[in-house]
Amino acid sequence: MKITKTKAFNVFFKPIWESNPISGQILGICSALAVTVQLKTAVVMGLALTLVLAFSNLSISLMRKFIPRNIRIIIELTVIATLVILTDQVLKAFLYDISKQLSIFVGLIITNCIILGRAETYALGNPPFLSLLDGIGNGLGYSQILITVAVIREFFGAGKFFGFQVIPDTFYAAGYENMGLMVLAPGAFIAIGLIVWLQKTVSKE
Amino acid sequence: MSNYIKSFLFAAVLSLVCGSLLTLASTGLKEYQLENIELDKHKNILKSVGLLNGEDAVSQETVEQLYSENIGQIWINVDGKIVPEQRKGKNDLQVYLFSQQGKIQAYIIPIHSRGLWGKISGYMAIKNDGATISGFTVYSHQETPGLGGEIEKKWFQKNFQGKKILDDQGNFVAIAIAKGSVKERIPESRQKNFVDGISGASMTGKFLSAGLKQTLTEYEPFSERFRKNEIK
Repeated sequence: MKITKTKAFNVFFKPIWESNPISGQILGICSALAVTVQLKTAVVMGLALTLVLAFSNLSISLMRKFIPRNIRIIIELTVIATLVILTDQVLKAFLYDISKQLSIFVGLIITNCIILGRAETYALGNPPFLSLLDGIGNGLGYSQILITVAVIREFFGAGKFFGFQVIPDTFYAAGYENMGLMVLAPGAFIAIGLIVWLQKTVSKE
Repeated sequence: MSNYIKSFLFAAVLSLVCGSLLTLASTGLKEYQLENIELDKHKNILKSVGLLNGEDAVSQETVEQLYSENIGQIWINVDGKIVPEQRKGKNDLQVYLFSQQGKIQAYIIPIHSRGLWGKISGYMAIKNDGATISGFTVYSHQETPGLGGEIEKKWFQKNFQGKKILDDQGNFVAIAIAKGSVKERIPESRQKNFVDGISGASMTGKFLSAGLKQTLTEYEPFSERFRKNEIK
């Protein structure tokens, strides 16, 4: 059997493009708007979310046979919140500067719909290994869109790439101006809208 | 009934596990976090008087050495008189002094201002003439990154350097954040009392201006003594 036909492969790669949580399922838009002004924060946010998503999927999948149905959402949220606070504490202790830049957004991972969504629809009904892959795949899918949006916004909004000036000063001298719109939330909406359009056109069912 | 008990037990055990994990992490990491916060404050004080530029990576030892060599801490009362630390009252204010060769170069005022979303904390250093700002830094805030959050960025803070808290007649006016560019919005004679605003963050600027004015007013008696050369 070819590797591309295995279940694990599909579980991992589908969310990266085909059923991407942001552009395919339109989940987790809130943070995609907030942290994509600069590439650096988008990358760290993507990493933090992937980490939390992988471990929340794993631990919820491990407990799936014991979780009482009637309180499952509370249980899921407790696990997610614990993981997020742990991440935040570790960042504050060892990567203080980055944690300062991300400020409230690490805490906001708790409310990210993707995490609860994957726990509900996948981890509760599938074995731990596949759930872990699903978590990492979805996390990377989210990061991928975040990074794309951040590149677009940072380039048009500030003329920079990863904090380095890429649009030369001569352009500014000639009358070029940064698009203020790209720094504000509507810029992210437009960028995400374009990505959704592109994705729907490319991967027609 | 047994279902309820099962749910209850599960919830209790999970809470216990998660709770202990968090307690463990919080107490275990607290020492490192407090150390980071303290170090960050020291870094900001040094940045406000120009001993650090805030860009190059510096080791903890360098920061602590620079700090202990150059910075001292005192308390002043509402009249701007220095009070010994053990006799300080609750209305007394904290000031850091930057001295070199036994002479005070600048004094550093802790700033606590309201922001749009939460408290803004930082330092403002004023030179020993009691009027010229030597630097301004922010070490903690909750403003929106990319908008009001720009107050922690160098481009915004370096605009404070060399600005005055006095107008042409020598009256105290504090320093404020303009709405937009100072060159376009503020009359020539007042430009030295304003810094460029942040586009998309007028509210942050408004609150911070008010906070700066309030704090600087509280410290005005102390600044005045510097202007009259009573403190050296």
